[in-house]
Amino acid sequence: MKKIVSVLLILAMVLSLAACGGGETGGKVTLDVIISQYGNYTQAWWTEFEKDFEAANTDIDLNVEIVSWNDIYSVVTTRISNNEQPDILNISGFADYVASDLLMPAEEYVSEATKENFIDSFWESNEMDGTVWALPILASCRALFVNTELLEGAGIAAAPTTWDEVLTACEAIKTTYGDSIIPWGLDISTDEGQAAFSYYTWNFGGGFVDEEGNWALNSAENVEAVEFIKTLIDKGYCNSAPYTDTRYPLQDAFSAGTLAMMIGPMNMISADSTVQYEAVNIPGLGIGLGVCDQLMTFKDPKAEEADPARTEAITKFYDAFYECETYSGYMVYEGFLPATEDASENLSKNAEKYTVGGDSGATGSSEYFATFCATLPTCSFYPMQKAEWMDVRNGVIDVEQKVCQGLTTAQEALDALQAQVSG
Amino acid sequence: MNKSAKIQSQKNGANSQTLQTMRKVEPYIWLLPSIILMCCMIMIPIVNVFRASVTEITKVGVYKEFNGLANYASILKEQTFWNTLQNTLIWTVVVVGVSTVFGFILALVLNVEFKGRKFVRALIVFPWATALIIQSVVWKYIINADYGALNALLYNLGIIDKYVNWTATPGAFFAWECFIGIFVTIPFVTFCVLSGLQSIDTSLYEACDMDGANFFQKLFKVTLPLVMPSLTVSTVLNIIYVFNSFPIVWTISKGDPADQTHTLVTYLYDLSFSNGKFGEAAAVSVIGFVILAVCASIYMIMTLRAERED
Amino acid sequence: MNTRSKNPWKRIFLYLFVFAVCVVILYPYFVMFTTAVKSNEEMYSTTAGILPKEWKLNNLIDVWTQAPILKYMLNSIIVAGGATILAILCGIPAAYALSRMRFKGKGFFMGAVIMSQMFSPVVLLVGISRMMSAIGLKDSLLGLILLNAAFNQAFAIWLLRGTFTSISSEMEQAAKIDGCGTVQALIRILLPMAAPGIITTLIFVFINSWNEYTIALTLISTDALKPITVGINVFYGFNMIQWQYLFATSIYATIPVIILFLCIEKHLVAGLTSGGVKG
Repeated sequence: MKKIVSVLLILAMVLSLAACGGGETGGKVTLDVIISQYGNYTQAWWTEFEKDFEAANTDIDLNVEIVSWNDIYSVVTTRISNNEQPDILNISGFADYVASDLLMPAEEYVSEATKENFIDSFWESNEMDGTVWALPILASCRALFVNTELLEGAGIAAAPTTWDEVLTACEAIKTTYGDSIIPWGLDISTDEGQAAFSYYTWNFGGGFVDEEGNWALNSAENVEAVEFIKTLIDKGYCNSAPYTDTRYPLQDAFSAGTLAMMIGPMNMISADSTVQYEAVNIPGLGIGLGVCDQLMTFKDPKAEEADPARTEAITKFYDAFYECETYSGYMVYEGFLPATEDASENLSKNAEKYTVGGDSGATGSSEYFATFCATLPTCSFYPMQKAEWMDVRNGVIDVEQKVCQGLTTAQEALDALQAQVSG
Repeated sequence: MNKSAKIQSQKNGANSQTLQTMRKVEPYIWLLPSIILMCCMIMIPIVNVFRASVTEITKVGVYKEFNGLANYASILKEQTFWNTLQNTLIWTVVVVGVSTVFGFILALVLNVEFKGRKFVRALIVFPWATALIIQSVVWKYIINADYGALNALLYNLGIIDKYVNWTATPGAFFAWECFIGIFVTIPFVTFCVLSGLQSIDTSLYEACDMDGANFFQKLFKVTLPLVMPSLTVSTVLNIIYVFNSFPIVWTISKGDPADQTHTLVTYLYDLSFSNGKFGEAAAVSVIGFVILAVCASIYMIMTLRAERED
Repeated sequence: MNTRSKNPWKRIFLYLFVFAVCVVILYPYFVMFTTAVKSNEEMYSTTAGILPKEWKLNNLIDVWTQAPILKYMLNSIIVAGGATILAILCGIPAAYALSRMRFKGKGFFMGAVIMSQMFSPVVLLVGISRMMSAIGLKDSLLGLILLNAAFNQAFAIWLLRGTFTSISSEMEQAAKIDGCGTVQALIRILLPMAAPGIITTLIFVFINSWNEYTIALTLISTDALKPITVGINVFYGFNMIQWQYLFATSIYATIPVIILFLCIEKHLVAGLTSGGVKG
């Protein structure tokens, strides 16, 4: 008995030591950074970055942790409720953190050079009540992807540009291929149903907010858009379970050639796909969805006043990350669009210098960056800087699901949501 | 070892008063490791949850001040909560009920000698031994309407001539979830009953045969009463496990469409991690706890009474 | 029940029933395997056959290089093994006291044990993770071991107590008269006799801990510390779901448990008999 207990105790000590891994840093500034997992190889890039950064800044101990999108919100929230927020976080959306008074204003830690380098619209997109709270880490935009082979086979010459053409094309595909091809991919799951809401409402002429920036969820255009989503489901044009199908299996189905059309991010086609496709503007008004994730800096929960040494380390981190070569490399590596001036320019010319994550050895394409960096300004973004954003996000998904299940009408559901949000 | 040595030495000589105190204290020392483990790992979080349920918590998890029953009030106002409560009840009753009946029948069958019985018994273990999360993911793929395995199977066998949308309505989602729940719960029931069956003396049946009793008379007069204790154990444990089961519903539907397929556990997970309503989620936890605690007390009272009658 | 049925129709019906049960039970495993060897393209085919058109058995090997599966498995073994040992070490004395001694608060303790099972880990997630970070055991295997042991304590005590109660205490008393201490009597006499019940308990705790998902998902953030149930999430990546690898890994995660279960299947029934019936 005694032996077993002592063995257990030793085991426990070893394990807890391993768990605490280097709590003692000896006067160094420690920076805990949480990065979202953008791809299967995110970890490898950041491990390299961490090594280089620490070599260049021997007084800073950088800990980068990669967290998958599945878990990141719960991971971060539990940390915060334990008063253990990271120093730097990469996530989508910052308003709730501002509301809880957890973030440092960007001006306090970003060097002048780095600040000037951001593309203006991105820098401003993180403004809330006159203060910028976060930095854009990368951008991506959504477009309509069509499988040209399938469309031609169904007698449709060109990708649809209006919503009526979408219905016609879906019908043609359905008649030609029967059940073997899904005409249209739809995701109104809790995962990203708000994206569907924006594709359709924006391009029907509505949206989340009116011109003054006030919530305008129950506009006539929005009602029409939500009803259109229901039509897609009712006519059997889309995947069978849009309530639970996330974008990812749809993308894979598109890449495998069993899904004819879907709206998705520009890097959605899997590397080994052989389908003939085309990426075009979203039908209707042609407004793409721009997605821009952020990097934000938390106040030190243990100190009343900002520690200058910590702030300085943070500045160094951002300077190193947004440095043109490093940042361009990361954008190609993950397949996203840069949010800085010099990297956009660089990638539009020299993307071939950098390689994509993984061991395929593929390089970036300057043409790709030139095209998409140019379309980015025409994209709209989620109103993330508004305090009610998370409620609206969940609210519109709920509206979509309820309406499509026939539990209520689009008008009623949107009226109720508008009343709840603005009242 | 120390302790026993002490007891030993006391036994061998010293005064009887210390011995008596030792005797009184001894049982608690035996319980101590278990108590420490459970207190630290379960009691503290429970206290935490109770506290959270009466605290205002911001969307990102910062604890503000005490806000009385506001979290409870706001949760009780939600139509979804009441739906969820109803779902949880159906979920628990259906899954535990069906798997108990079916598991019982299966155990009766497996208690009969036939060729391949060993093989089948081994097979029954499979669903039990597979992680729930894995089992759920597999079933999610099976019932997918567009490229799922079930449609492919039935279509190729000529049973259906068109792919069926297995999850067209919230009810359909929920029915599948119940099915999977039953599927993974049956083995436990079967093994509990089998163990009960094995302890039945075969001479009892021989006596019944002599009296000319038929199958059902034997079933209700002999088998059922004798396996009752095993059945009770499996049912009580299953009620607790199924009530608190998370991976199945979460993997298959995440409580969607339109929050129609939640059970209390997925609902509170959704509340806290998708909607940032931690206070309300804690309130749901406490409500769930109260429901189970009431059931447990009833069971306890019943067993205590039975023990006293013995 | 009558163990030797003579009626041929009954036999046929019995075999049909058993066959149907086997088919349903095996079906998910069949799907798991056939999907694991499909190509990504065929995965999303809307006109698939029952079997893969092209058998990509390589998937089963490739998956090992796609993610540190061995590491995940090892973590699972450490967590499940540690939790099992701890749960048994704490459970045996408690069950012994409950079955052999009379003391005040026995009923209360039994009640508390059952009550502790009322809260599932999911319900307590936020509380658990707050506490674990307070004591610095978040994101550590030791934390998972302690939690799994604690949440299986009730079940372990319950089964063990039943087993001990069903064994007469005469032998131990005889041993004590011979000069054996209580602990010695427990170890030398009772434990060997209670072996089937103890094995059952061991397996139960092991499997519950091996299959635990939600606590590990919330507490563990370091990739190198993830147990297999959480580890397979890597195939649920940001931009894709790699069903084939997901299922291939699932197969590897399932096999050890099934083997374990098959080894003790006989004891299982015996252990439940002694433990459960007297519950």
